Amino acid sequence: MNEGVALSGSLSFLSLGDLLQLFGSNGSTGVLRVYSSHSPEPGVIYLKKGNPVNAFAGSQTGTEALFALFGWIEGEFQFTIQEITEEKIITKGRMELILDGLRKLDDGEVEKLGSVASDTEVSDIAASDEGGPLIKGPLVDYMYIVDEEEYSDGQEIVREKKHGNWIWVVVQGVVQVLKDTPDGPIEVVRLTDGSFIGSMATFTVNGNIRSATNIAIGNVSLGVLDTQRLFTDFSNLTQGFRRFLLSLDRRLREVTDRVVEVRGRRISLDAWVKGRKPAIRQGKPEKRLFMITEGNATVVRYTENGYIPLARLDRGDFFVVYRFSILGTNRIRHPSLPLPI
Amino acid sequence: MATINLKTREIEAKIVYYGCGRGGKTTNLEYIYKTYKKQVTGDMVSITTEGDRTLFFDFLPIGLSKIRGFDVKIQLYTVPGQVQYSSTRKLVLKEVDGLVFVADSLKVRREKNMMSLKDMQKNLKEYGLSIFKMPLVLQYNKRDLANEGFPMLSIEQLDHDLNRQLKVPTFPASALKGEGVGVTLKECLKLTLKSLKKQFQEG
Repeated sequence: MNEGVALSGSLSFLSLGDLLQLFGSNGSTGVLRVYSSHSPEPGVIYLKKGNPVNAFAGSQTGTEALFALFGWIEGEFQFTIQEITEEKIITKGRMELILDGLRKLDDGEVEKLGSVASDTEVSDIAASDEGGPLIKGPLVDYMYIVDEEEYSDGQEIVREKKHGNWIWVVVQGVVQVLKDTPDGPIEVVRLTDGSFIGSMATFTVNGNIRSATNIAIGNVSLGVLDTQRLFTDFSNLTQGFRRFLLSLDRRLREVTDRVVEVRGRRISLDAWVKGRKPAIRQGKPEKRLFMITEGNATVVRYTENGYIPLARLDRGDFFVVYRFSILGTNRIRHPSLPLPI
Repeated sequence: MATINLKTREIEAKIVYYGCGRGGKTTNLEYIYKTYKKQVTGDMVSITTEGDRTLFFDFLPIGLSKIRGFDVKIQLYTVPGQVQYSSTRKLVLKEVDGLVFVADSLKVRREKNMMSLKDMQKNLKEYGLSIFKMPLVLQYNKRDLANEGFPMLSIEQLDHDLNRQLKVPTFPASALKGEGVGVTLKECLKLTLKSLKKQFQEG
C-alpha cells in the first residue's frame, strides 16, 4: 500500500485545512486518508485536480463527512496518488470548504476528536519587544469618558480640602498624590495609567472634599469620567452594597491619614489597642461580614516592627475578609484586625 | 512568507483585512470584488461567522511587476474577530504577507478599535510575526457618517489612538461608497510587494 504514498505525516503538524490548500495549489489527484486513534475507520477524501470530490467519515459521506474530518485534529494522514473514478459529490469550492469547515469547528458544529490541545498562551505583550506598548494607556471604556484633559509637569489637578466631584482616569502619565502636613506636603502614592483620581464620596449627598492634592509629573493626559452616568450605575446598586463601597472608600482615606501620621510620628499606638478586644485576628480564617451598629473599632496590622494602626471604623462601617482581589490577578493577605471596645 | 506555486509559476501572497466586527472589512472586500472584477480570479467565498462574515477571493494585481519571473497572485481575506474562531484565524493569518487594519470612525467604537489592534498584534505574535515589521496600512472607515451627525473620532484622535507607535500609512475611507478603498489596497499591495521582493532577495 505504501507504494503510491506521496506524502504522509502528523495532523497536528499539518492540519486538514493546510493539506487541502497544499493539494489545491498543487492540483493533486488522489486519496487522502486520515487516521485517528479515536475512530476505528480512517477518514477518506478523494481529490481531483486539487479539489475534494467526495469524502467518507464513519457513516457520513460527501460534504458532511469532509466537515466532520476537520474535527480530527490529532492523528496521521497519508496521501496516495491515484486515479479517481469517484463521482463528484462535493460541489463547493475548495476555499469555501476549508473556511466553512474551520468555522464549523470553531462554532462547535463539528465535534473535535481526541484531546483538545489548549491554545498556547501568549505571554504578556504589554511591553512588546520593539519600543514600548503598541497602544499607550489602559483600555478604558470610552463610553464613560466625556472629555480628555492634558496637564503639563507640575500642574495641579486637584487641591486638598477643596470641594470637587469630578473623577478622572489617568490615560497616560504619572500623577503624584500629596497630603498636607504641618511639616509640609508628603507624597502618598504615584498613580499611573489606568488609575483613578477622585473617590466614591462623589456619589454621596454631601459631595466630595478632596482628601489629597494631585500634581502632574511630566505630561499627563486624563479622561474625565461621566459622573452622571457613574452615579446612575452606583444608585442602581443595592443599598447595602452602596454602603459597603462607601465604607471601603472611608477606610482608604483613614489608612492614608494614618500613613501621614506615622510619617509625622504623631501617633500613639496605645489609643488604638488599649482596652480593646480583637474581633478578627490577622491571619485567621474569617468568612463573616460585620457591620458596626454601635461603638467603634480600629484596624491594626502586625508587622515585624510591631503593630501599625491602619484605620478607625465607626457606626455603619463594615469589616470582612473581602476578596475582591480574587477577581484580579493579585492576591493579598488581608491584614484586618479590628478591635472593638 | 508567500508560497511559490511552481505549477502555475505564481507567487501566492496573502493580504488580510483585520478590524473589529462591523467596522467595514467585508465592505472593503465586497467593493474590491465588485469594482475590480477583471482582476479577480474565481468566486468570492463568503462564510457567515458570528457578528461578521469571513470573505476570501483571489486577486491579480495589474501593473505589479513580476518577481523573478513569477506572477504575483494575491489572496484577499477578512478574518473573524471573535475569540472563538481560533482555527479560522489561524488558517487565515498563517503566512500572511500584508495587513489592512480597518478602524471604525464612530466614537462609540473607539475602545473596540484599540482592542482589535492589540488583538491583531497578539495573534500575529502567535505565528512569530511582529506587527512592527509587517507591511501594514490603517484605514479609518465610515468617514461619511460625519455628515449624518454621528459622533465621530477625528483623524487626529484615531492617529493618536492607533498609529502613535506604528507610524504606518493611513487612509480615510467610506467603504460603503467605495471612497478610499482602492488607495488603501494599492498602498498595502505596494508595501507587500516591496517586502516580498526583499524576501526573494530582489531589487
